Amino acid sequence: MTMTSSQPFFIRLLAVLSMLLGLALGTTMADAQSSVRPPDNAVNQGLTAPLGSQSDADIWRQLKQGGIGTPSASGDIPLPMAPGRPDNVAETFWKEITAPARDASATSGTPRVMQVLGEEWRLLRRDYILPYAGWVLVAVLALIALFGIVRGRIKIRDGRSGKYIFRFSMAHRIAHWFLAASFILMAISGLVILLGRPVLVPLIGKDANAVLTSAMLQGHNLFGPVFILSLLIVIFKFMKGNFFQWADAKWIAKGGGLLWGHASSHHYNFGEKTWYWVVVIVGLIMSATGMLLLFPWITDVLAWHQLSTVLHAGGAILMIAFALGHAYVGSIGMEGSLDSMLRGEVDENWAKEHHDLWYEEVTGKKVTHEDEPEAAETAEGSA
Amino acid sequence: MSETSNTAQIAVDTLVNQIDSDIASYLEACVHCGECAEACHFYETTKDPKYTPTYKLMPLVKVYKQHKSPLRWVTQIFGGPEPITEEELRDWEELVYDSCNMCGRCTLVCPMGIDIAGTIRKMREGYAAAEIYPDGLKQARKNVERTSSPMGVTEKALLVQVGKQEKETGLKIPVDVEGADYLALLSSHEIMASPEIMGAYAKIFERAGVSWTLSTKAYEATNVGVQIGSGPLAKQLVQRVVDEAERLGVKYVISPECGHAYGAIRWAGPNMIGRTFDFEVMHILEVLDQLRAEGRIPKGERDSRKMTMHDPCQIVRRGGLLNEPRRLLDESCSNFTEMKDHGITNYCCGGGGGVSANPRAEELMVGAFGNKMKQIEELGEIEAVVVPCANCRGVFEDGLFELDREDEFEVIGLAQLVADTLADDPKPAE
Amino acid sequence: MTFLEFTEGPMFYLAVAIFVAAALVRVIGILRIGKKPDLAPARGSAAMGFIKGNLRHFLPRAGFAQRTWMHVLGGWGFHLGLFALFFFAAPHILFIEKFTGLSWPALPRWGFIIAAEIAFAGLIVLWVRRFSDPVMRLISDWDDHIGSWLTFIAMLTGCLALQEAHDGLRAIHMFSVNIWLIYFPFSRLMHAFTFVLSRGATGANYGRKGMNP
Repeated sequence: MTMTSSQPFFIRLLAVLSMLLGLALGTTMADAQSSVRPPDNAVNQGLTAPLGSQSDADIWRQLKQGGIGTPSASGDIPLPMAPGRPDNVAETFWKEITAPARDASATSGTPRVMQVLGEEWRLLRRDYILPYAGWVLVAVLALIALFGIVRGRIKIRDGRSGKYIFRFSMAHRIAHWFLAASFILMAISGLVILLGRPVLVPLIGKDANAVLTSAMLQGHNLFGPVFILSLLIVIFKFMKGNFFQWADAKWIAKGGGLLWGHASSHHYNFGEKTWYWVVVIVGLIMSATGMLLLFPWITDVLAWHQLSTVLHAGGAILMIAFALGHAYVGSIGMEGSLDSMLRGEVDENWAKEHHDLWYEEVTGKKVTHEDEPEAAETAEGSA
Repeated sequence: MSETSNTAQIAVDTLVNQIDSDIASYLEACVHCGECAEACHFYETTKDPKYTPTYKLMPLVKVYKQHKSPLRWVTQIFGGPEPITEEELRDWEELVYDSCNMCGRCTLVCPMGIDIAGTIRKMREGYAAAEIYPDGLKQARKNVERTSSPMGVTEKALLVQVGKQEKETGLKIPVDVEGADYLALLSSHEIMASPEIMGAYAKIFERAGVSWTLSTKAYEATNVGVQIGSGPLAKQLVQRVVDEAERLGVKYVISPECGHAYGAIRWAGPNMIGRTFDFEVMHILEVLDQLRAEGRIPKGERDSRKMTMHDPCQIVRRGGLLNEPRRLLDESCSNFTEMKDHGITNYCCGGGGGVSANPRAEELMVGAFGNKMKQIEELGEIEAVVVPCANCRGVFEDGLFELDREDEFEVIGLAQLVADTLADDPKPAE
Repeated sequence: MTFLEFTEGPMFYLAVAIFVAAALVRVIGILRIGKKPDLAPARGSAAMGFIKGNLRHFLPRAGFAQRTWMHVLGGWGFHLGLFALFFFAAPHILFIEKFTGLSWPALPRWGFIIAAEIAFAGLIVLWVRRFSDPVMRLISDWDDHIGSWLTFIAMLTGCLALQEAHDGLRAIHMFSVNIWLIYFPFSRLMHAFTFVLSRGATGANYGRKGMNP
């Protein structure tokens, strides 16, 4: 008894729209050349010509070092060897953030021109975050792909029973997808901002990257608060059942059921709980640091801003890595998982296999695991 | 797919004729938000999305898009809807007849203010013309064509009940009196199941000094044509009352405590026969309220039982009589409590709009009635529920029987209650 | 002619022309279907009912607030945010001034951002609900989704161009807005105008009965 409007309408419309969009994008890329910004060779000549081809940072470092010696052309000094590095970074940082507020007008207190952590921060970003962030994600993707190839799609052992039990309410599902949607927007725009220069410039060129980054930056700033809102909703909605329990220790001991036999779990297993707390802790850190980056006038202690950029980038990579794994297991990686977030209910056999203690709680029935083959065998069998 | 059966064609042609600018704006404005489901007792008690009120309109939407919607020549370039088939119409029959009381509660929550109930009423025209409607209503129609009453109440049966009531009350119940001021209509449910109402009328009107009459030609107020959605039948039934009222030369026709009967003659009637009446249609509650305001039916000792009132949708929300019943109740009972959703946001009993005449829908109806019961339970020990609609009273009786809770409270009509609590000391007749 | 000149020039004129003409045809078309005069003696005023009906349905009745809060919040947030962006974003006012010479005070940047946040949050909540709620899923069709997406894209591209530093981004925004304008009058987006008729029709009918549901 369904009455959907006819398919051809949509397909035709989609075809027309995608054609127009293609046209638009094509022209836009060409258009980027005629952007209101001056072309980049103009920028180079105008600003850096008097100082030669050195970067600003290099010049600053020269100043800091008393202008003695020849700085390396691109400033590629490995972090531990960087000159001017404070002996104890943590202590210096602590001093920075606990120092009494300085008056910018410099009529009182100790006026300072340089902030010693700046170099530390700059090199940390340049030598560690930018080169490795992308590779971490590539490695995670590779791991997931490897797991997928070796283990295959994790099937429901006894097949689908066709009977469903309730798992997530509409409110839970909406909260989840709300966060998922805003997270994906934040992740994509964030990655473009972070990795546009090393990754995208060689592919699409500086002009297109400039346009894209401008757009992504605005988008990222704008969706940030939406992300925070959806994050808070998820934190509260999903808190129940996500505190660690004794069953989780046993779950770890059994390698999550992938290595050594069946691992029992309640509504959420150890992996899911860990993901929840990563979302909570890293998510809140991302929110806080993000707000500081968005509203920098909140504090004029530079160290906070430096810490924020580092934490924001690191946290983002961590969260995206987890999210990739989560998305894999939640969809193609495991039969029956996606039902819980789409239908709000899961197959009985899926529940028995993956959340037996929860299944027993809600149905009052017992689950036996005696007839189960060793998990390792199953893994081999399906590989 | 493209070939349409004769039945489907009749339905489509009728539906196209039913679409006026109001209906068009409703169908255009719906943004598919689904809020209406939250107001519908059938959705609420089943949680089945197909009972979402706006979904019940889909066949009409299809017809509208294909035949009536402005700019359809443009949208149809991208593929308009397929012509509607008889099968589809039959698929929707349950939604149009069994699971809609035309109670109009959905309109309250609709951000577009769409009158879904009124639109269902128009849809039923198409269904009735194509003769796709429940057997229960077909039977009712046969009865009406034979006796003018859906329950098959004949003139003879009426006169028997009148006689009994006259004996019981010792008052004269005038029948076929030309030149009376008021012509009272009754619902067949009242004539058969609670004939005391005739005695109650006699008592009240005697006290008020009102000249009134019943008619052996037009005693039946219920209008099966409206429930089925058959315009021609509905018109015929209204015409019968109009002819008789004008023959007797009455000033007022009183619509009884029966939900859709009131709307049928008061609000739809003149539009059906295409002219205004020579008399005024008043609901019995309006008449009582007016008589009380004029001091002609002084209140006596009030009923002290703990009572609440069920608002019949067609009288209160869709009829416009919100305050009259409450003013009357204030003076008739001393321990009155409103239930949670009362007045304009009331729940339907579950049996309105022809559902109670449709045995196929009984499970749905009793389920929906459960909602009402829940609200009554929330009030604690209720001793009597005032239900100023004969059809609702029937549903209450059926529902309480099905739920095996018949002894919990009394179900009573409001005019009956007013008659029962009339002041004891009759003034000397003038 | 650059792409920006095209989207702000001929394509924009065409889109506006289609929008205005088709929307008028649609609304007039609905009214022209006509209705028979109501012969039943009225208890109240139909005209007052028309107005009351229009006001009344801005919010559902109190009893429903608990069950429909998500829609109420999402709907109000989205529409208010959208109107604020639509009429009070500084670039929009400049754009309108270019054509009409009319100008009015713009939202400050923080106001723009807050309005955008609210509008996006509302639209996303409503859209997520559309594909996850069984009731909404059953009654939604492609038109609903396309309408949501086009609106979302128009808003998104607008916000992505917020830096106002690249013609390309501005052109993409203009382009998506033009598409939105063209799609509008043929779709359910027309509820922006038809809601007055719909609420008014019910309001007038009930107004005659002396009720205001």
